[in-house]
Amino acid sequence: MKVAPGEFFLQGNEACVQGALASGVRFFAGYPITPSTEIAEGLAAKLDGKEGVFLQMEDEIACISAVIGASWGGVKSMTATSGPGFSLMQEAIGYAAMSETPIVIVDVMRGGPSTGQPTRASQGDVMQTRYGSHGDYQVIAFAPASVQEMFDLTVAAFNYSEKYRVPAFLLSDAEVGHMRGLLTIPDKLDIIGRKEKGIRRSDEAYDVPDELVRPFPVFGKGHRTMVTGMTHTDNSWIEPEDVKVHQELVKRLSEKVLRNRKDINKWELMCPGSKTMIVSYGSAALGAKEVAASDDKVGLLRLKSLWPFPEEPIAEVARNCDRILVSEMNLGMMYSEIKRVALENGCKKVELLSKIGGDPPTPSEFRHKLREMGVI
Amino acid sequence: MKPVIDPKFCKACNICVYICPKKCYSKGSGIGETGYFTAVVSAAEKCYNHNREGKLLCELCILSCPDQAISWHEETEEEKKK
Amino acid sequence: MEIFDFYRKDRWPHVFCPGCGNGAVMNCFYRAFNELGLELDKTAFVGGIGCSSRIPLYINSDALHTTHGRAIAFATGLKLAKPELKVVVFTGDGDLGAIGGNHFINGCRRNVDMTVICINNNIYGMTGGQASITTPHEFLSTTTPRGNKEYPFDLAEIAVAAGANYVARWTTRHVHELTKSIKAALQKKGFTFVEVVAQCPTNFGRRNRMADPTQMLEWMRESSIRRDKAKANAVDHVDLNLEGKITVGEFVDRNRECYEELIGVSKHG
Repeated sequence: MKVAPGEFFLQGNEACVQGALASGVRFFAGYPITPSTEIAEGLAAKLDGKEGVFLQMEDEIACISAVIGASWGGVKSMTATSGPGFSLMQEAIGYAAMSETPIVIVDVMRGGPSTGQPTRASQGDVMQTRYGSHGDYQVIAFAPASVQEMFDLTVAAFNYSEKYRVPAFLLSDAEVGHMRGLLTIPDKLDIIGRKEKGIRRSDEAYDVPDELVRPFPVFGKGHRTMVTGMTHTDNSWIEPEDVKVHQELVKRLSEKVLRNRKDINKWELMCPGSKTMIVSYGSAALGAKEVAASDDKVGLLRLKSLWPFPEEPIAEVARNCDRILVSEMNLGMMYSEIKRVALENGCKKVELLSKIGGDPPTPSEFRHKLREMGVI
Repeated sequence: MKPVIDPKFCKACNICVYICPKKCYSKGSGIGETGYFTAVVSAAEKCYNHNREGKLLCELCILSCPDQAISWHEETEEEKKK
Repeated sequence: MEIFDFYRKDRWPHVFCPGCGNGAVMNCFYRAFNELGLELDKTAFVGGIGCSSRIPLYINSDALHTTHGRAIAFATGLKLAKPELKVVVFTGDGDLGAIGGNHFINGCRRNVDMTVICINNNIYGMTGGQASITTPHEFLSTTTPRGNKEYPFDLAEIAVAAGANYVARWTTRHVHELTKSIKAALQKKGFTFVEVVAQCPTNFGRRNRMADPTQMLEWMRESSIRRDKAKANAVDHVDLNLEGKITVGEFVDRNRECYEELIGVSKHG
């Protein structure tokens, strides 16, 4: 379904719907949960059976399972959820990583743990995104901070999930999901489609290309693929006892994302030469943007992608500054990662401005913290 | 037609021995290639399909064999005389 | 098509224990599939986790071996994304009725076109014989060493109540009837469900004085009762009690419109 180009005044979640449609989503399965429900509602209106399928499943586990199933049917598919639903999806996310299924999962983060604050924003799921399922795997995750980015990064999530055959995430939050703002849909978008495997030639052995990302054998085209979450060889026969097969498979699953970090990672840099840099993402960076714009002693590195971890831009910033202030809406999840990279790269001090409870840190809270640090 | 047991697949569950209404099968006494006491076709001439053309009858053994070890084969001239 | 065009002969002998009921269901399924002249390249097989859910991996076709209990949810997505595919789910009693119970009843309710074959062996076989939701009352398992104090589920009855288009139950002692029912299920549009009570001599029979698979088949023969055809769509209550009986037969055969017809899914793959 084509999306009309132009300028729109939309809600973040609605912009996500537009991004999904622009990317060519053909299957959406969802379950009502605040604050992500508008995405399901928006796609329910558009995916009418002919243009694609919208399905309201019995729970979030069923949603992501159906989405993975649909992806093997060869269509771009996605689901949207929030905290508790995201927790339910974790097992299947591991399955998608293991079976190399391209899917997009939107997590509009809300305050946790448990039911927590259904209507308030949080950034408490960033580590769950990376480590939520058992075993070693890598994912791709983006963190939008505006209505425009809800659109742009939804498109990016679809593109990278297709390109690298991994589950890709859009880690929005209640604040960005519900904020209203300007969305500009360009005339032309770069959309990456599925890299399908060619039709299998008679009964000869499956060709195993020597590359990290293998072409995708869509069901029903004669590939006779075996898709499994078990440790498997390249022709997908299960080998749960084989040490070497397991090592090669799991390492490749990680490598295909980690080696392409430079291609995937996105960030915004403001006043890069400053001796004090704020590192933040999502709605926690909104206040920091204002501070960095008004105060020339303070710069901002705003991460647009969180996983694979953007070591390069953080290392670059750390080499050129004395102090880093990490701001996020949890008790310090990305902080430990950022601190590790920053200290390794010569930054002397890494501090944390953490705020939970639903409101993003305000510019005055940033200034207060910076004053405490003796910067301004 | 006569039933033949593939000793590579048979796991000696002896369901064929139990299920055959004509008692064509019997338990094996020797260890086969797979390490099991594979069942044997001891009286193929009793089978409903002995010397029979056209649609096969009964087939309980083939449908019940958990290891797909039984298949139909043409009888030799000698067997046909039995 | 010969049986080993349908199954992957290079993977034989399969992983199942001697005397396992899965093999009989595989025979019957191949028969039904072959006699209907269905095509492997236009069919996808989905399984969850468990012994019976391994069957799709042995079939020479597209197979989706999924997470525990979610096979029907995966199959729903696959079918709606590629409606021209025929989708068949192989599952077991624990996979379908316990961890996947919600997907099962909602699958029946939603009525997406797929055939679900549940091999009910009354036990968690792959993990070594723990009581399942269909373990008969007072039967022994590793987790019910003093006898199972719970009462079992009747999967076929649930499927009827939840709205499946076709529901039948047979045992592995009824191979011909089972083949016929699988054929009927494969031909029918909508959610079709065939439950097969199968023997697990290794983990179920062994602890319940039926260590020999033939003893288990004899148990099924003795305790199964054919459902009275005159009762039409009525539901029989059938738990696998010690004294109870296994009612076998076709339980329901109706033509509710299936989901993809109602929403007008067209090809968009």
